[in-house]
Amino acid sequence: MSGHSHRTPDGFAAQAREALGDRTLTQAMRRVTDLFAERRAAALETVPDWQELRQQARAIKLHTLARLDHYLAQFAGAAAKNGAIVHWAEDAAAACRIVGELAQVHRATRLVKSKSMATEEIHLNAALAAAGTEPVETDLGEWIIQLAGEMPSHIIVPAIHKTRQQISELFVDKLGVAPSDEPTVLAAEARERLRQHFAEADMGISGVNFGVAETGTILVLENEGNARMTTTLPKVHVAVMGIEKVIPRFADLEVFLRLLPRSGTGQHLTSYQSLLTGPDVGVPGRAGQGPRELHLVLLDNGRANIAVDETMRETLACIRCGACLNACPVYQSVGGHAYGAVYPGPIGAILTPQLQGMHQAAALPFASSLCGACKDVCPVQIDIPSLLLELRKRAVEGEAPGAAPAKRAAFEALTWKLWAWFVRSPGRYRFAAAMARLGDKLPLVKRLLPPMRAWASSRALPRLAKRPFRAGHKDGGS
Amino acid sequence: MSARETILARLRQRAPDAPPPPPLPPVRSTALLEQPPFASRLAAFTAILAKLGTTVEHVADVATAARRTTELLAEHGARSLASSDHALVAAVTAQLPTDIERLAHDAPRDDLLRAEAGLSSAQWAVAETGTLVLVSADERHRLCTLLPDLHIAVVPASRLVATLGCAFARLQPDAAPAGQTITFVTGPSRTADIELTLVVGVHGPKALRVLVIDD
Ligand code: SF4
Repeated sequence: MSGHSHRTPDGFAAQAREALGDRTLTQAMRRVTDLFAERRAAALETVPDWQELRQQARAIKLHTLARLDHYLAQFAGAAAKNGAIVHWAEDAAAACRIVGELAQVHRATRLVKSKSMATEEIHLNAALAAAGTEPVETDLGEWIIQLAGEMPSHIIVPAIHKTRQQISELFVDKLGVAPSDEPTVLAAEARERLRQHFAEADMGISGVNFGVAETGTILVLENEGNARMTTTLPKVHVAVMGIEKVIPRFADLEVFLRLLPRSGTGQHLTSYQSLLTGPDVGVPGRAGQGPRELHLVLLDNGRANIAVDETMRETLACIRCGACLNACPVYQSVGGHAYGAVYPGPIGAILTPQLQGMHQAAALPFASSLCGACKDVCPVQIDIPSLLLELRKRAVEGEAPGAAPAKRAAFEALTWKLWAWFVRSPGRYRFAAAMARLGDKLPLVKRLLPPMRAWASSRALPRLAKRPFRAGHKDGGS
Repeated sequence: MSARETILARLRQRAPDAPPPPPLPPVRSTALLEQPPFASRLAAFTAILAKLGTTVEHVADVATAARRTTELLAEHGARSLASSDHALVAAVTAQLPTDIERLAHDAPRDDLLRAEAGLSSAQWAVAETGTLVLVSADERHRLCTLLPDLHIAVVPASRLVATLGCAFARLQPDAAPAGQTITFVTGPSRTADIELTLVVGVHGPKALRVLVIDD
């Protein structure tokens, strides 16, 4: 389906080189990461207890993940009691089969979908398309890349690699409309087309940001209103939820809502949160206004194995805010496509190898300078650099003799290429400063990454490193 | 084994030497903080929504709210109004000019889809974030606050709380009927998906207007 589905996690080096040659892409990436990082910093100024919030969120997540069997069962029980129909999916294939069967049972041929990483992870659209019922993506950015047959380049703004002119050409080509490069005109066109889809849809598919164990409530967060449409207008709503999304208490939502939008887009809150507790069927004499059926698909797909791995467990604390992407010097330069997977950037570099298996994604843990910016900005304080090191260790240990040196050689070539690109770019001080921070971690780094030694001893570094590292220090590290 | 049992069994495969789970910390809520007076809450609510292009007006009574609603509808060129089933909304709509087409919360879906404006109340309004909190068990709000281009909310002054935590503390979903939907609304629908340029009203309302009514 996608014109770029040939990309793979292990192809990172070549894909990164390709990305660096694409000026439109690299400029767009720089713009979006700069803007979100600036907005995030401004948003944090208004929250005096930011560090306490992060600690609280982390403590809640680490507790829940360590007892996920308990909280997941509690969540499923509460959701069922409130009228939701709960399905359990061990892997991607099972989840796709469940959603496909639901579409079949309800004779749903017109499906709408709001943005969801979990459904992208299981390639739900492709599976449903094979059965002849591909859902229409309704988030503006997702819709644009669906029309174009491309992959998202950023988890918050998926079509950010496309210029307005390219989007206009796409609309002219696919929708037969007059050309316009005004975002308001393009968005209005999308609104009209997608309204039609919403009005006719038989089934709506969404993701879930948080699932509350004590009440069985799911929370879906967004800005556009397409998730509200998707979860309100069709007769049937199917929500696909990674099992790690459970939190214990309804009141815990406040902490996560204070952290998530500020970390992601720098908004104090996104425009809409929908908190759904069972299907809105109404009471006698007062009709409900939502779907008659709410199906929850609880997706494992590798998560349970991460949850029982004491070292790697905190990977699952991620609330998908995107802050680590925006702060990462590698992601800022190469963008999301280079990672060859649904989850890009620092979180993708630790999550993808664990979900897809190291045999497919061993290159990703090496696609980082270990500068620590991701850890500094993460609202749940995930120690991504340490997890990257652990995965590197496992990648090297787990490989056939000879494979690891080859991998390292490829990575070495890539890092030099990246370095050359950075020193030519106007934002190079950020990378240099990031490299300077790397000095703290040298003993480990030296062992794993030969080129780093040269960088760290480079005479240019102390001078460059005097510039502040904008993305991380603001909130006092972790 | 069912998929449920398989997944739960996987989650129970902890190493025998695994450390005990870290404790669940007590709830951290802003509801416990000292609440500022109404005037400060209203000022904060108005200021933060102004940044999102949403106006907040403080009006003395239902008659004034009805007059302002009429004017807002005219300003936006809206001639049809979809309403929730809230008592305050009914009181306001009763005083609107008769040439405005009224669509009740249970009007046919196709009619609601073409409504030009929507009128709701809110169960809570949050000063700190500029958020309206709507609870379906108390008010059928899902369509009239979402489908039309213009959303007008008439909110009793007594419902304006300081923080998100205050709203959460009052929601108590475990005591609520099954099938309850709670919607948080903060400003109009928005997107920055095309070159990061802000566009309002991409799917939901293009404009939100709030009237805070003394009660
Ligand atoms: S790892 Fe942390 S910073 Fe990155 S997306 Fe997840 S929560 Fe956000």
